[in-house]
Amino acid sequence: MKRTIIAVTLAALMPGLAVAGDWPERPVTIVVPAGAGGGTDATARMLAERLRDKFGVPFNVVNQGQGGGVVGINTIKTAEADGYTIGVIYNFAHYAPMGQADFNASDFTPIAQYNFDPAGFNVRANSEWNSIGDALDAIKAAPADYSIACGGGCGGSWPIAAATLMSEWGIDLSQVRMIAGQGAAGALQDMVAGGFDVVPSSVPEAGALIQAGRVKSLAVFGSERLAAFPDIPTLSEQTDLDLTLGAWRGVVAPVGLDAEIAGELAEAMSDIVSDESWQAQMAERGFGVQWRDTEAFADFMASEEGSVREIVATLGL
Amino acid sequence: MVVFESLALLMEPKTLGVILGCAAYGLIVGAIPGFTATMAVALLVPMTYFLDPVPALAGIVTLAAMAIFAGDIPGALLRMPGTPASAAYANESYQMAKRGEAETALGVGLLASAFGGVFGALMLIFAAPFLAEISLSFSSFEYFWLACLGLVAAIAASNSTPAKGAISLFIGLTIGMVGLDPVMGQQRFTFGNINLVGGLAFIPVLIGLFAVSEAFRFGAKPVARPEILPISPKSLFTGVFSHVRRLKWPILRGSGIGSIVGAIPGAGADIAAYISYAVARRFSPKKDAFGTGTVDGIAPATAANNAAVGGALIPATVFGIPGDSLTAVIIGVLYMKGLNPGPTVFLMQPTLLYAIFIAFLIANIVMVPFGFGAIVLFRRILSAPPGVVMALVTLACIVGAFAVENTTFAIFVMLAAGLLGFYLEENEFPLAPVILGIVLGPILESTFLASLAKSQGSFVEFFSRPIAGSLGAITIATILVPLLYALLIRRK
Repeated sequence: MKRTIIAVTLAALMPGLAVAGDWPERPVTIVVPAGAGGGTDATARMLAERLRDKFGVPFNVVNQGQGGGVVGINTIKTAEADGYTIGVIYNFAHYAPMGQADFNASDFTPIAQYNFDPAGFNVRANSEWNSIGDALDAIKAAPADYSIACGGGCGGSWPIAAATLMSEWGIDLSQVRMIAGQGAAGALQDMVAGGFDVVPSSVPEAGALIQAGRVKSLAVFGSERLAAFPDIPTLSEQTDLDLTLGAWRGVVAPVGLDAEIAGELAEAMSDIVSDESWQAQMAERGFGVQWRDTEAFADFMASEEGSVREIVATLGL
Repeated sequence: MVVFESLALLMEPKTLGVILGCAAYGLIVGAIPGFTATMAVALLVPMTYFLDPVPALAGIVTLAAMAIFAGDIPGALLRMPGTPASAAYANESYQMAKRGEAETALGVGLLASAFGGVFGALMLIFAAPFLAEISLSFSSFEYFWLACLGLVAAIAASNSTPAKGAISLFIGLTIGMVGLDPVMGQQRFTFGNINLVGGLAFIPVLIGLFAVSEAFRFGAKPVARPEILPISPKSLFTGVFSHVRRLKWPILRGSGIGSIVGAIPGAGADIAAYISYAVARRFSPKKDAFGTGTVDGIAPATAANNAAVGGALIPATVFGIPGDSLTAVIIGVLYMKGLNPGPTVFLMQPTLLYAIFIAFLIANIVMVPFGFGAIVLFRRILSAPPGVVMALVTLACIVGAFAVENTTFAIFVMLAAGLLGFYLEENEFPLAPVILGIVLGPILESTFLASLAKSQGSFVEFFSRPIAGSLGAITIATILVPLLYALLIRRK
């Protein structure tokens, strides 16, 4: 009896020393490097609910969207790797080359990727371009004549997707005018007003303006058409490029997480993502599902880090 | 039909509960001298974090409407306006109350307030979508000038000297510069501190400036309240309707002035009330009675300050440009709730937006019974010991700042902002320009740089686009005309 009490007391005093067999014995924090109400937050909360059901302890979402995600991602990176702080992460390879924060793929223990939303190539509804090929050829002929909105900062998922495509098309990226601003919604409205020629963004974000007949999306950068927007062709249908570019989200932990805990989390994630009700829930909210297990996710983050940093350097950001 | 869908959103029991709670809260905070409507909203914001967009925003606009009216009550019975918006005619109604006519002053004031509020709400409902349609053709050039106009008006309209208004504004702009710059994402004024990379968060700064500063001021010198004048609620509506019927045109004029002044960036309910009071005096057949206690002065001015709230919501929702500190907060909440203000929100989320507008309209109608209740219970509201109230306010501030940001750093930001707000107010620097600077600074910077990038460094396009050119001319005239005028007068 006495020994049990001592053991319990010791365990309570040393939460950091919890071993995989006991995990989780108290609530787990999911750091979300985005404000409440956005897409990252919505998917994280959906995950948290299902993780709680799997493990029987609360998974608490903590939003830290300050500084375009820098604060939240830093919290994940520097947290204790005891399995009680995990995080949702998204395209982060651009922060380091742009001098915003020192985040590298090697700073995290990958668990799994659960989401991917392809970029859309949006132009004004009355634009003379009717296919992605028209647009890219025109930009290639006179790269300085067109302005492309980055939505937020030019290192974000959407502008990087557009820049990667243009680079593959042989467009001189150093001549292209990529213009930073505040948010894709504002940039889309500005494009309708004649301020920009192209705004890359997720297709649902441009959905209301597409339905209102003010914006058309020339291509979606995914492997297949979106169920909600079946009229928008994919890149590979129109060009001989087979690129999937856009925004992704996955679950990571601080580097050095016990392999057994990571394994348990990855297994739970696999169960959740393959669950049909979860897929329906994601589709209903307009989020694409993409599964990458721990190994594939690690490879993906590493290769993306290389390609994004090359693009950022070419763009001269 | 958007209107029915919006009504259905409002009729949810939870939403109704939040609206009723906010109405009562707004009346109480508005009735306590020294507590402004902005402070009431600032304290509520962290709580709205846990609500859906419709109840959150419907609650806030209800609260704003109620707090602006409730400020009239201590103005009449204590000669201390509950909020700055009631300052223009606090003496007028106090003089009436001293003559034993408090019932008439507050009864007419309540009806005129409700009328002004409804007028402002209707302006909002009909003018905003129309303006939104036009502003769909606004590019970054136009937004740059709107932000400029907002900054200039923030100085011109502050209740202080232009120099002090400008200093406040620049403090706000500086606060807004901390963190990642809005265009290139470079770090500014962060001193390598990861907490500062996110910038000085808006809500903690706001709570600090408007609420914590008030607690500090009370701590520095607690104020005893003067004797409350008597009022008999039973006779509150006797003879009131004949006054309102007699004053229908001045009240309508006051409502019109209020909604227009409210819509001008930088000028809010307090300025609207001053202007409406001055205009009423100018056109009244009983000019001499003004200042000695007459409803002829109270009714148009109190209609104006309530109409101003609706007016200020027009640029807030259509352009995302705040009309005053109160709407600056509402814009913050709109962003927090994913309803990015701008013309596209009218296309993308019309149901949500109209639900909020309709909630505001309804709030101004139910203001009559609720306001009556607040007048009856006023003595009881003020019987809460101020020391306890201030302690609770401080506690709510700390919890609120942490709840919004999830960092302890936010609490320190809030406390520092509280000290700043205390220091500024003690030295008669206005606080509203600080908040406007924080909101408008990043808009100004990103629209300016985006415009320059689009025009490849040429400034011509800032004037060659017709709407941008006109807005630019208005902005420059707002700066130059008073200067030239002052110069001319000096010559003579």
